[in-house]
Amino acid sequence: MKLKLYVDRMSQPSRAILIFCKVNGIDFEEIKVDLSKRQHLSSEFRAINPLRKIPAIVDGRFKLFESHAILIYLASAFPGVADNWYPADLSRRARIHSLLDWHHLNLRRGAATFVLNTVLAPLLGLPQNQQAAAEAEKILVSSLSTIENIWLKGDGQYLLGGLRPSIADLSLVCEIMQLELLDGKDRDRILGPHKKVQQWIESTRNATRPHFDEVHNVLYKLKTKLSEQKSRTPLSSKM
Amino acid sequence: MMGKLKVYADRMSQPSRAVLIFCRFNGIDFEEIKVDISKRHHLSPEFREVNPLQKVPAIVHGSFNLSESHAILVYLASAFPGIADHWYPSDIFRRAKINLVLDWHHSNLRHGAVNYVLDTVLGPATGRPLNPKAASEAEKVLLSSLTKLEYIWLNGEGCFLLGGSQPSIADLSMVCELMQLEVLDEKDRSRILSPYKKVLQWIEDTRTATNPYFEEVHNILYRAKKKFEQQRSRAAETENEPSNKMDGHSKM
Repeated sequence: MKLKLYVDRMSQPSRAILIFCKVNGIDFEEIKVDLSKRQHLSSEFRAINPLRKIPAIVDGRFKLFESHAILIYLASAFPGVADNWYPADLSRRARIHSLLDWHHLNLRRGAATFVLNTVLAPLLGLPQNQQAAAEAEKILVSSLSTIENIWLKGDGQYLLGGLRPSIADLSLVCEIMQLELLDGKDRDRILGPHKKVQQWIESTRNATRPHFDEVHNVLYKLKTKLSEQKSRTPLSSKM
Repeated sequence: MMGKLKVYADRMSQPSRAVLIFCRFNGIDFEEIKVDISKRHHLSPEFREVNPLQKVPAIVHGSFNLSESHAILVYLASAFPGIADHWYPSDIFRRAKINLVLDWHHSNLRHGAVNYVLDTVLGPATGRPLNPKAASEAEKVLLSSLTKLEYIWLNGEGCFLLGGSQPSIADLSMVCELMQLEVLDEKDRSRILSPYKKVLQWIEDTRTATNPYFEEVHNILYRAKKKFEQQRSRAAETENEPSNKMDGHSKM
């Protein structure tokens, strides 16, 4: 029975898993769970994941969710996945775990909350919380700084001094890609100071071509649509 | 040959306790180095060499440094010989489920519990003022997490998470987190925890499975609990003193 991925390409961790599978030639069926249509709240999906979150996978009778646990499982369960994704060496592996753990309450929390409360909330019919956005921006900026100065310190161009990408690179870069939806000014202000981070995003994209851009297409289309809407909006008059 | 393992910990820190109990229970030879958060030791340049993220727990094993308690627990379970399989099973399916629960923990139980306790009791000790509004947000996350523990994670055959009949690193991590609620006012602690019978039983089972190390490592927390209880009863006495003529009714 083929591996099933329950994903929404608008979801950062969903994209990480899709790209991982495609790059590693893992055969799978992609099942779209549209967050904007609340499909993750359906009773069918609840049977897959009682916590109603995506991504989720079903491999035979085995169900799993939480993208980091999924990436680790896929790297371990499928043959032919190159060692750099999830090294067998215990200390290298441990550092990847450490980074993936740090991610939850740092980059992910900052980036996802910021983009949600500035750009995505109106599109999803959710209230925009300015205070949450301001707090999230602080966490996001601090996290990018930590990545620039600590996690990207080392010989290679990937996290933890890696010469090739790991599941941590994929997870974190997909998270940062959500910032594409921001107003160009905001995105430049937030990302601009971090040169290593920008280079690392490019390296990860190159290392996973053409799947990276293909999986991110939905995001790029939305970005274009949002810029077009913005340029059509008449300038407000000065009262 | 690696040098002796060094564990940088503050026993008032929940994840520090999980790592210490794991090491002691499994007979891992290590040196415990106290990093006192209330005295800001974690911000010292010496500790920054150990962990540039300035958090505890952290370990140094030979020339290898590591932070984040889940990564540490996984590393120790894998790198040291003689550790029973149930702590971090080699079976990739069971292991994946433990990874899942460890991931879930960060933004759920830990986020709710740590903030609730800081915002109602412990904050000032770390230079963070009490914050009742943030506390009520944290309480929602905490209660939601307890509900998921009760009805999903503890909904299996064994008495541990994911139907395990023996504890894993996930049980240790999450029970140590919940132990922090010991410093709360008994009324609050009871209100929050008492609806969750399986959770309460699971805390006991994890404690029993890892005693006497569990109790020993938690000693400092129990002492802190007593200290806060005394402070609270002294504060209540002061409010009820007859010399207080400001108001005619007692403040509850």
